[in-house]
Amino acid sequence: MSSINLTLKIWRQPNSDALGAFETYLLDGIHTDMSFLEMLDVLNEKLTKEGRDPVAFDHDCREGICGMCGAVVNGVAHGPEKEVTLCQLHMRHFQSGDILVIEPFRSRAYPIKKDLLVDRSALDRIIQAGGYVSVNTGGTPDGNSLPIPSQQAELAMDAAACIGCGACVASCPNGAAMLFTSAKISQLALLPQGQVERKTRALAMVAQMDEEGFGNCTNARECEAVCPKGISIRNIARMNKEFLRAVLAEG
Amino acid sequence: MWFVRFLTSSIGKKLIMATSGLLLFLFLCTHVAGNATIFMSSKVFQGYANELHSHPLIVLTFSLGLLAVFLVHIVVGLYLFYQNRAVSNSRYAVCTRVVKNSFASETMPYTGLFLLAFLVVHIFGFTFSPKTVLISVTVKQLLSNFFYALFYILAFAALFIHLSHGFWSMLQTFGVNHPRYNILIARLTIIIPLFFFLVFAGVAFYFMTGLGASY
Repeated sequence: MSSINLTLKIWRQPNSDALGAFETYLLDGIHTDMSFLEMLDVLNEKLTKEGRDPVAFDHDCREGICGMCGAVVNGVAHGPEKEVTLCQLHMRHFQSGDILVIEPFRSRAYPIKKDLLVDRSALDRIIQAGGYVSVNTGGTPDGNSLPIPSQQAELAMDAAACIGCGACVASCPNGAAMLFTSAKISQLALLPQGQVERKTRALAMVAQMDEEGFGNCTNARECEAVCPKGISIRNIARMNKEFLRAVLAEG
Repeated sequence: MWFVRFLTSSIGKKLIMATSGLLLFLFLCTHVAGNATIFMSSKVFQGYANELHSHPLIVLTFSLGLLAVFLVHIVVGLYLFYQNRAVSNSRYAVCTRVVKNSFASETMPYTGLFLLAFLVVHIFGFTFSPKTVLISVTVKQLLSNFFYALFYILAFAALFIHLSHGFWSMLQTFGVNHPRYNILIARLTIIIPLFFFLVFAGVAFYFMTGLGASY
């Protein structure tokens, strides 16, 4: 098993109101089979032993499906590998002697809680604004009573792959949350179950997105490039259509 | 009020940029067709200009409409530019763009403002040129000046860059994004701006280099 030595420059900020700054740490003997978060664990153990404050960072499942982890590594959200979350990024992708600048996801709508920990509840509020799906109660529906073309189902699943990590916002030059919102609008707009509230949902979610202080999309495509789940900006195109249709029909 | 909701929303403003962009694109199509007559002869070009200006009501209506479209595109564009600047790239110590060829999308406001400067020069040079001189003479006179023509060519290069993001971006905003057509759209996004550049800059080049000396 090979190991590498790294220089880490990590954003340290005691709380939301404090001024933050970068601190430099030297870390030797990092196994290349470790994930990025395990590397941070090693750093934190070292800091704890030295009696210093460990680096706070978000993490949960550590298998790339929960959307909890994330940081900007050398200017790229979730690090340099394509379609992986930070927890699934392995240290074998780095060289010994690399300098890694690690920053929290930044957006006007993401207050920093501590170090690399950010409050992404603005994204939750966009989902909440979408509301519920109307379903007729009664007996169990018969199998295949709601036929969905496989193409449609696949597109809905592609949109539903969004884990809500918020890397799209962090990497957008304008701090827009369009990729996230469009994925959430698309996954229901494409399915028959989502048709009843289709228009009101599009209007409410877009309104909430604007209210949270996210920026305006200029089609720079950075979001799609860093998305760990490969969500396509085709969803944004769909959201634009959904919004236009809704605003003309419902106002 | 659906209209207020539309105007104040982020997607609404995006759609306004795309719609005004589409109208400006259509205007460019008619302008480029008119300019192409220069390559035939000064007589054909003067004939086209005379025909166009023999319908003053049409010219006036279209000019005012065009002015409105330009104003909308510029004002909303600048508003979005200032709004987005509040959350600029400077928020990170290290800023890496993952997308290749992002030059055009990054410089949209700047190429746009350069085109606005060009527009002012162009309108004062040609639209408000003395009515006693034939337009085919004015074209040759102004564009025979090396630096004047060079400025024109630079402006058309800016137009090329602006459209090489704008054309695709407009279709994306209208919701036109389908794997079956994306390659075609990507090709058109280069071919159409290149066509505009060749014809528009070609006219300036034609007079600048003296090729059109006998015009």
